[in-house]
Amino acid sequence: MIEVSHLTKHYPGRVAVDDVSFAVSPGEIVGFLGPNGAGKSTTMRILAGYLPATGGVVRVADHDVAEEPIEVRRRIGYLPENCPLYGEMRVDEYLRFRARLKGVPRAKVPARIVEVKERCGIADVGNRIIGQLSKGYRQRVGLAETLVHDPDLLILDEPTIGLDPNQIRLVRGLIAELAERHTILLSTHILSEVEMTCKRVLIIHKGRIVASDTPDRLRRRMTGEASVIAEIAGPRGEVEPALRGISGVADVQAEGGDAWVRYMLRAPRDEDPRPAIAALAAQRGWPLRELHREAATLEDIFVNLTQTDEAEAQP
Amino acid sequence: MNGFLAVWRKELTGYFLSPAAYIVTIFFLIVMGAIFSLLVSVLAEGPAGVTVMNLLFGSPFFWMTMLALVPALTMRLFAEEKRSGTIETLMTAPVTDTAVVLAKFAGALSFYAFMWTPTLIYLFILRYFSADMAPPDPGPLAGGYLGALLIGMFYLSIGLFCSALTSNQIVAAITTFAAMLLLFLAGLLDYVARGDLVQAVSAHLSSYSHMLEFSRGAIDSRPVVYYLSGTALMLFATVKIVEARNWK
Ligand SMILES: Nc1ncnc2c1ncn2[C@@H]1O[C@H](COP(=O)(O)OP(=O)(O)OP(=O)(O)O)[C@@H](O)[C@H]1O
Ligand SMILES: [Mg+2]
Repeated sequence: MIEVSHLTKHYPGRVAVDDVSFAVSPGEIVGFLGPNGAGKSTTMRILAGYLPATGGVVRVADHDVAEEPIEVRRRIGYLPENCPLYGEMRVDEYLRFRARLKGVPRAKVPARIVEVKERCGIADVGNRIIGQLSKGYRQRVGLAETLVHDPDLLILDEPTIGLDPNQIRLVRGLIAELAERHTILLSTHILSEVEMTCKRVLIIHKGRIVASDTPDRLRRRMTGEASVIAEIAGPRGEVEPALRGISGVADVQAEGGDAWVRYMLRAPRDEDPRPAIAALAAQRGWPLRELHREAATLEDIFVNLTQTDEAEAQP
Repeated sequence: MNGFLAVWRKELTGYFLSPAAYIVTIFFLIVMGAIFSLLVSVLAEGPAGVTVMNLLFGSPFFWMTMLALVPALTMRLFAEEKRSGTIETLMTAPVTDTAVVLAKFAGALSFYAFMWTPTLIYLFILRYFSADMAPPDPGPLAGGYLGALLIGMFYLSIGLFCSALTSNQIVAAITTFAAMLLLFLAGLLDYVARGDLVQAVSAHLSSYSHMLEFSRGAIDSRPVVYYLSGTALMLFATVKIVEARNWK
């Protein structure tokens, strides 16, 4: 659906996107992740045909964005950052305008509007003035607009920014539903969002793609070690050396109060020291009240990949 | 074509819903009405050496209104889209930049033409109530309205261009006003300047004398070409600016 090869975008005195290549196949839902100023919006604007690229080739649905911009735009529903809308228009009026603008045949417009309003949960605000709607509703109007010509591909730039947690969940749910029928590329710097909604993640940093994989595999790749947490009541001086003695345990850190002490152990992924810890505690008669293994979060990965020269990233 | 029609329609309905456009229209109609009533009193004193249309378009009130009215109609066109970010959704819809520019221009021009229509009623009234007076000849009448249309086209295209240069409506309005004033004053040089060249150039630019000619029923091809090509040039420049997308 999307093929990007060696895409470069220069702004005066700055390289915003630097030799980026990736592909998205039909039906995929891909998260575009990166810190502020990484070049997400710039890439998406080029994909949507708003900005011309400095170098490289972008193809969407087998059409070159630079050579056949109109063909490409027919197939894309693009929601820009901050969801710009005409505040003085009514919802229905806006959707009608956009549908006509996007070439939906006149006879089909009313049915399309009803359908997208239904899908985005805004059926009851058709007569309201957009500027007077809440942010969450405006966001949904924006989403409805991207769907109005039934595009194959949705490009959504930070679709949940600025919403309260309830609205974020609603919009995410909506996106997950849309994923059944459309290919989606969405950008965000909220990691949990990607973990929840996307099958694949592209991490972009300073204009370059630094990782592209499923959230799961990224997590596994990044963490050769897992950490195990155990809370044990017992003399710290005895417990700590005993834990160190368990095979596979590389490092032990203790933390916490008088009775209960929280131990954080590092161990290789393929070795699980938990049975040995339980057995040890039972054998010595130390009460054990918590024992679990923590997987690295996408957040760790993200920080790991993008924290280099943080100061330079946002000039 | 669908895209053009959709944008044109949106712009035109936008004018009908915008308070600014109403204020401008009302202001325009009051000024035109005042000029007409003045006209009636002049004509009541007996036949003078002027036609109705000539008096109408030669009036300084008419020109001051024009200079104020055009920026009010055009300042919003691109500047507001850029300020609110909707330019991004507009330019990523399957329409060409040229279609968008032409549609916005057509929207402004249609509303401008609409503003003129009530003045036809004034003419009708004039004719109805002064039966003893000769009705305006069709020549000056058509010439006057053609002139108003041509000059309106050119000035509106200047306004559209200025609006594409900035994301601030006020800046757009002020630049438009300044550009029009400059053109208008350059035209008046004809009356004050000495050098032959200056006078010749000035006479070509002078909307004021063009309008007087038109409203006498004398339609010269040179001003027609001047306004049409000027409009085309401004629209072309606007398309180039919009294509460059070098704002933010
Ligand atoms: N119009 C512009 N002119 C000059 N530089 C720009 C322009 N737009 C963006 N940039 C720069 O390009 C880089 C990438 O910006 P971009 O908006 O693509 O980042 P982003 O990943 O979307 O960030 P965010 O998460 O903050 O939205 C930034 O350094 C930004 O300052
Ligand atoms: Mg962005």
